[in-house]
Amino acid sequence: MSARVTVDWTRCDGHGLCAALSPDRFALDEWGFPIVRDPAVREQDVPDLRPAINACPALALRLERAHR
Amino acid sequence: MTALLDRPVDTTAWTVGEPRLLAGLAEQFRLDLAAHIAVHGPLPPAERLLGYLDAAPIAGRGGAGFPLGAKLRSLPGRAKHVVVNGTESEPASRKDRTLLLRTPHLVLDGAVATAAATGAREVTVAVHDEAVAASVRSAVAERRDARGVRVRVIPGGFVAGEARAVVRALQGGPALPPGRRTPPTETGTLVSNAETFAQAAILLRRGPHRFADTGTRTEPGTTLLTVGGAVARPGVVEIPLGTPLGIVLSAAGAPVAPEAVILGGYHGSWVRPLPELRLSREGAAAAGAAFGAGVLLVLDGASCALGELTRVAGWLAAESARQCGPCRFGLPALAADVTALALGQRRPGAAFEHARVVTGRGACAHPDGAARFVTSGLHLLADEVDRHRAGGCRRPVLAQLPIGSAR
Repeated sequence: MSARVTVDWTRCDGHGLCAALSPDRFALDEWGFPIVRDPAVREQDVPDLRPAINACPALALRLERAHR
Repeated sequence: MTALLDRPVDTTAWTVGEPRLLAGLAEQFRLDLAAHIAVHGPLPPAERLLGYLDAAPIAGRGGAGFPLGAKLRSLPGRAKHVVVNGTESEPASRKDRTLLLRTPHLVLDGAVATAAATGAREVTVAVHDEAVAASVRSAVAERRDARGVRVRVIPGGFVAGEARAVVRALQGGPALPPGRRTPPTETGTLVSNAETFAQAAILLRRGPHRFADTGTRTEPGTTLLTVGGAVARPGVVEIPLGTPLGIVLSAAGAPVAPEAVILGGYHGSWVRPLPELRLSREGAAAAGAAFGAGVLLVLDGASCALGELTRVAGWLAAESARQCGPCRFGLPALAADVTALALGQRRPGAAFEHARVVTGRGACAHPDGAARFVTSGLHLLADEVDRHRAGGCRRPVLAQLPIGSAR
């Protein structure tokens, strides 16, 4: 089972917590919006990523499970 | 592009080869129901549509090119709602409004048949301006099979024409692309471009074999282009798919050696005007471009091409819905980069970097399309960028590329 991390760009306000909590996964552009370094998430990496996803004040981050 | 600012749209139209969608329009401005039946004949049974689409695929004519047959088959069971997207938000495009103003029954044939073939009870024609709505309403009133067809005028703007934004506006929400990339078909709503439905009406009448007796093997039939810029005969043109660019340029009265053409509109690409370029999705892809919604714009060399690019880059930034950070901040930054290049102040590295950084980072394809437009333009105009750094090209900016009114 694998998953993808997605950003709902209409929600993201560029708070930057994702990059602070998971710098390996998220960088920030010059305006403070996240750049997802690699959207594909292995199952064993989910626990490390979960805090960053849950911390987003705008609820803009989602982990989408691949069904196929 | 609100109703108040609307000017009557120029619906000049001509054809290369036999007209199909535009049949009868050389003789009459508008086909009412009687004229429509006289030109096209009665509409065959709708249940043939799916099988016909398997044999003669129709790529969606709104820009993305998704095959209509695949879209119909991706519906979960019956469709609930068929939506004709007649909003035509691309400022240089006039083909859908030309169809809806001059041959509305062809579009309605396709919509009604698609609804019948998929079990949809509701049909809505979504448009941006009242004149188009009036034409469709009067066509609906003439038909017996269109009692459930509604016509809705929804707010304008470039990104408001995106399929999911249209559905959202019809449901009472803002005319903006939603943040989740869920296709409307998942909830039983089939949205397609107005020309796509007109093509379906042609396919139903001709059958797949006669539909495919023009066009290419993989892209049968004809398509509509909107030709503009520095040409003597701008207008909506019906061509067999795969027609060489040179034939359309000379028929449109373009200069013998244009400086550049833009294929696919303002989410499309600047390409070198090679006469042998085939006007089809495959032909455009082979030239590194996108066919988009069939817009073909010509620059003749009299106008400063980098200045033209600068104007459109600024317009694209202004058309951001400002929902998504990378688009809201990135497109103005990109436009500023292009302005600096036109002023001879910089090298193009910053523009390419901003184009890269906005791509794929929005709720809709607006940042991606804007980045493609600017990047392809700067590649094609590399020598021109150098000339501007060395003091300028000494050409005026003639506004050969049309842009809509800023909202």
